[in-house]
Amino acid sequence: MHHGQIKATPVVGLVGNPNSGKSSLFNVLTGLRQRIGNFPGVTVEKKAGMLKLPGLPTVELVDFPGAYSCYPTSLDERLVVQELTNPEGELFPDAILYVADITKLDKHLLLFTQLRDLDLPMILVLNMADLMDSDGLTVDIPRLSKKLGVPVVPVSSRDHRGIGELKEVIAGLLREPDAFRPRQPFYEPGANARDVLAELRRELPARNDYHALLLTHHAPWLKHIPETTRHHIQEARVRHGFHSLRAQVEETMDRYNSFEPIVRDTVRHAGDTDSLSDRIDNVVTHPIAGPILFIVLMLLLFQALFAWASVPMDLIEWTFGTLGDTVRQTLPAGWFTDLLVDGIIAGLGGVLVFVPQIAILFFFIAILEEVGYLARAAYMFDSLMQRFGLNGRSVVALVSGHACAIPAIMSTRTIANWKERLLTILVTPLTSCSARIPVYVILISFAVPQVAYLNGLISLQGLAFAGLYFLGIAGAMLSALVFKWILNTPERSFLMLELPQYRVPVWRNVGTTVWQKSKTFVVEAGKIIMIISIVLWAASTYGPPADMAAANQLAGERAQEQGLSEDETADLVASERLEASYAGHLGKFIEPVIKPLGYDWKIGIALLTSFAAREVFVGTMATIYSIGSTDDEFRIRERLAEERNPVTNEPVYNPATAWSLLIFYVFAMMCMSTLAVTRRETNSWKWPVVQFVFMTAIAYVSAMAVYQLLT
Amino acid sequence: MSFPVPAAASLIQVGQSGTIERFTNESLAGKLLDIGVRPGSRLRVIRKSPFGGSWYVKIDRQCLALRKKELACIMVK
Repeated sequence: MHHGQIKATPVVGLVGNPNSGKSSLFNVLTGLRQRIGNFPGVTVEKKAGMLKLPGLPTVELVDFPGAYSCYPTSLDERLVVQELTNPEGELFPDAILYVADITKLDKHLLLFTQLRDLDLPMILVLNMADLMDSDGLTVDIPRLSKKLGVPVVPVSSRDHRGIGELKEVIAGLLREPDAFRPRQPFYEPGANARDVLAELRRELPARNDYHALLLTHHAPWLKHIPETTRHHIQEARVRHGFHSLRAQVEETMDRYNSFEPIVRDTVRHAGDTDSLSDRIDNVVTHPIAGPILFIVLMLLLFQALFAWASVPMDLIEWTFGTLGDTVRQTLPAGWFTDLLVDGIIAGLGGVLVFVPQIAILFFFIAILEEVGYLARAAYMFDSLMQRFGLNGRSVVALVSGHACAIPAIMSTRTIANWKERLLTILVTPLTSCSARIPVYVILISFAVPQVAYLNGLISLQGLAFAGLYFLGIAGAMLSALVFKWILNTPERSFLMLELPQYRVPVWRNVGTTVWQKSKTFVVEAGKIIMIISIVLWAASTYGPPADMAAANQLAGERAQEQGLSEDETADLVASERLEASYAGHLGKFIEPVIKPLGYDWKIGIALLTSFAAREVFVGTMATIYSIGSTDDEFRIRERLAEERNPVTNEPVYNPATAWSLLIFYVFAMMCMSTLAVTRRETNSWKWPVVQFVFMTAIAYVSAMAVYQLLT
Repeated sequence: MSFPVPAAASLIQVGQSGTIERFTNESLAGKLLDIGVRPGSRLRVIRKSPFGGSWYVKIDRQCLALRKKELACIMVK
């Protein structure tokens, strides 16, 4: 790598401790030119962006996960060590931007000195330089740079100071990667490690002693170490009595001793800087006031969710309804127009209608995260969570799960203990995600009368709504408890959680999160929903030819018998045809299974189609009951209210069936994307299968119990 | 408050503090050192968590949440 030649696409890695403001800097440097993918071979989210520097090819900036040291405890941290110790790897950086919080240099330089000893071209970026004026903090930049032997640039991702200079320094370092090679390492391996290294040094693919030492430490799990080498390393470790943990503690102490004097010499703090943060925490993490505040915050969040999202949602529904009508009137009638209106436009509207709620929920969660509140929530609920086999950090997943289980499951990577992480992944989809909202909205009006108390302040339907959310949370916690008893791992569990200082959120970060998550939802969920809408449209339009012909004839005869109008005849034909279609056959086929739950074959079709994505339910109902505008909840509601059992002539959607369906949707695992994420995160098909089976079983049994109790 | 002989930090009362001397558990020590808890640091127990079991702790100027087991391996004086 030190050839003085610039690669076609140089890679610059952004590395630093958690809470160092790394991601803010990434957002400032790359704007929205970001690509989110996965690191090769693992499930850790990889954020990469393009950085244009004058006179250089476009640079790929990779945002590595936050890590405290080269001795990882979580999956995220392992990835950093994995990639930075593998010079042959695709992501091995040509230069590293090491981001450190300017107020915590005495801690954040640990990983810096380790990476520096790997002989990687580095720039030390001191983030949060805006605190330099306000907090009476002074840093002697030239002196720090001289002592550490790397360029040091103070920046602020808040007011963008130093960003221009940083870009110049990056360009300079890429042009001359050898300009700042370390003259001497910060740490020399101790006696114990030297023996092992002497034996292994030649065999290991290492650039220097420290690189070899890290390979020796981490050989058991590093992917780029060949099996035979791994074996030799193990033998050498045993032969020389190399004690990995002890060596790590020795090294870390030694490193603190080497960089602490440098920090003391160059950084001046004036007084206790975080007194405001402390005063806030006196209330926010108070043993009694803290949890109450948490609950109030959550209630406010959901209140805001419903209050704010309804206007844009109505607008989207109206737009797609109008669009569908217009297309139908403009284009000649035929299968193509049907596909376009009932399949594609309806499907698209069904996806986009969720965007306002998803955006608002991510907006709130991003703010709570940015401010530093989520870490406090994790601290407050840790011991409660532990009783259920979870970790304080699970709170983050369980809160975000109310937006969408997918990012929530991905947020569990910070939980180092495998069992706690697995339990969190398994139960998170039980929290009521935003895709359940439209199903709840439609069905609740059949389950609960529209009654309000206290001058309309509290409505019975609203209470039922809250109850469903609570039911989801209770289900999640109780399932965790059951899994806790079943699964057994002796692995250690940690809390050791940093509670960062409270900060005003960087709005750019909040905006970026909201934009990216909404986009991902539209693209990912959109694909599935569109495909299902089209397949469903086809399955309910076509059927075995003989059956379809019979249906047409039967409907025609009956219409004549009863002297129906043109519109009524069309409705009758449509419903007879549906029954004869492929979808109708499928619905009839599963009817015996769902009968004890109070469902007929039409609900059966909706259940089947929404197993891939539960938000499809409303769209399916609309398609089945042949309503022009698919997502107009009120029209669907009217149509459902008219639906009667052909034998008993009683309404199909009575409170018992509605409650049964509601309970089913609270618990059932009806989201292919979530199962895919569980598969990725647990790296096995076993857990998504377990998740699907246990959730569906709970849903089936409890829905049946509710229906049988209410009828 | 200072302890004449080193004592486990889990014995410190809320609101009191001590200076970290050493750790008694290697695997926890590795992690604690990584996040900046090290001998010589000033440790103050600020408050107990709402449901017990963990503590809000201040180490030098940094705030951390530690479980009882994690505090117990830190010897202070």
